Amino acid sequence: MPSQVSNNMATKQVRYEALVKALHADLYRYAYWLTHDKQVSEDLVQETFLRAWRALDSLKDEKAAKSWLITILRRENARRFERKRFDMSEYEEANVIDGKSTSTEQELENHWLREKIAQLPPEYSEPLVLQILGGYSGEDIASMLKLNKNTVMTRLFRARNQLKEALNEEPVTRGQYNG
Amino acid sequence: MDDLQYRRSIYADPTCQEKYVVAAQQADPAKKEFAQELQQLDARLKQAMKVPVPDGLCEKLILRQTLASHQQKKRKSRVHLALAASIVIIAGLVVSYLQFSSSYTNLGDYALAHVYHEQEDFSNHDKAQVSLASLNQKMTTFNGNFNQSLGQLISAHYCRFDGMKSLHLVFKGITDTVTVFVVPKNEQLSFSENFSDSKLQGESIGFKNANIIVVADKNESLSKWQRAISDNIIWSV
Repeated sequence: MPSQVSNNMATKQVRYEALVKALHADLYRYAYWLTHDKQVSEDLVQETFLRAWRALDSLKDEKAAKSWLITILRRENARRFERKRFDMSEYEEANVIDGKSTSTEQELENHWLREKIAQLPPEYSEPLVLQILGGYSGEDIASMLKLNKNTVMTRLFRARNQLKEALNEEPVTRGQYNG
Repeated sequence: MDDLQYRRSIYADPTCQEKYVVAAQQADPAKKEFAQELQQLDARLKQAMKVPVPDGLCEKLILRQTLASHQQKKRKSRVHLALAASIVIIAGLVVSYLQFSSSYTNLGDYALAHVYHEQEDFSNHDKAQVSLASLNQKMTTFNGNFNQSLGQLISAHYCRFDGMKSLHLVFKGITDTVTVFVVPKNEQLSFSENFSDSKLQGESIGFKNANIIVVADKNESLSKWQRAISDNIIWSV
């Protein structure tokens, strides 16, 4: 009996580590686009994985792991606001790219796009991040955010529409931003 | 489908594979181009969304979990330890309560029970082994002293008389041993001067420092024993 328990513990540990390795980057990035803050994102991811560890036995389908973790993370994030009303930190590009001197063309474009994504209203950027980064369908996003699918599709449309407009407005300054 | 509806669908999902969207793309190359353009935008957005992940985050997550579950285990084992300790303490209390609390209410009952309990250990045929000197040495605990021997003393040892340190003397009697207890004064047991059951009889004398209880079978004259004790004993305090 004790050997079985420790065996279960070992299996759990292996499962957990596999989850962390496979999904921590996605989760961190998702947290980042939710909070726009590196430190808060890291804390959120840590809290999420600790909760995931405790509830790991309830995760039956490994394919659902990512959306399960995202659900935990969103709840943790909401809790953060219940605990304390953080100032909605303004998007700070400095958080993302540190050494501007080593910026390549690609990094400059990323830098510019990140600012545009961050300027989207959160209700638009969240489904967009889930769709592009998470690879989720409209139905998946709708169930994760507890919205109906039409609402999600409308928000996705508006998100891209705003980004496209922003791109069309500044086609020339791109790459020389902050230069 | 009209152009606006098509654009909405593509803006919402550039990789949309709905029948009407696919049909529109096949009918109009410009629409297909538009979808590809947005797919390219998505690729760029995806690149931008992949913000750098802090170094060592993965290891940190694993480490934190390991520490957290280790602490949890420690907490659990502390709880177990505390439980075990409580049980030991309670067991100790129960044992000492049973051992030292009196289940008898008077000297006589206890004396009889005590004699029956040790009946097997002594026989009237045992040789007397204890000298007056060693008896008196034991009697110093009670500040008492015997002038002369009361009879043939088979055994003299300290014992617990209902939790009190007492002197247990066994003398040779007429048909069976005679037991004399020297017991400190105690309020737990009420003094009973005469007591008996079907086989044994007993008498107690209260002195200033101690009670002396004689228990013997019915062939003995207890009053003779009592007189011998009273005449012989000298209390030093």
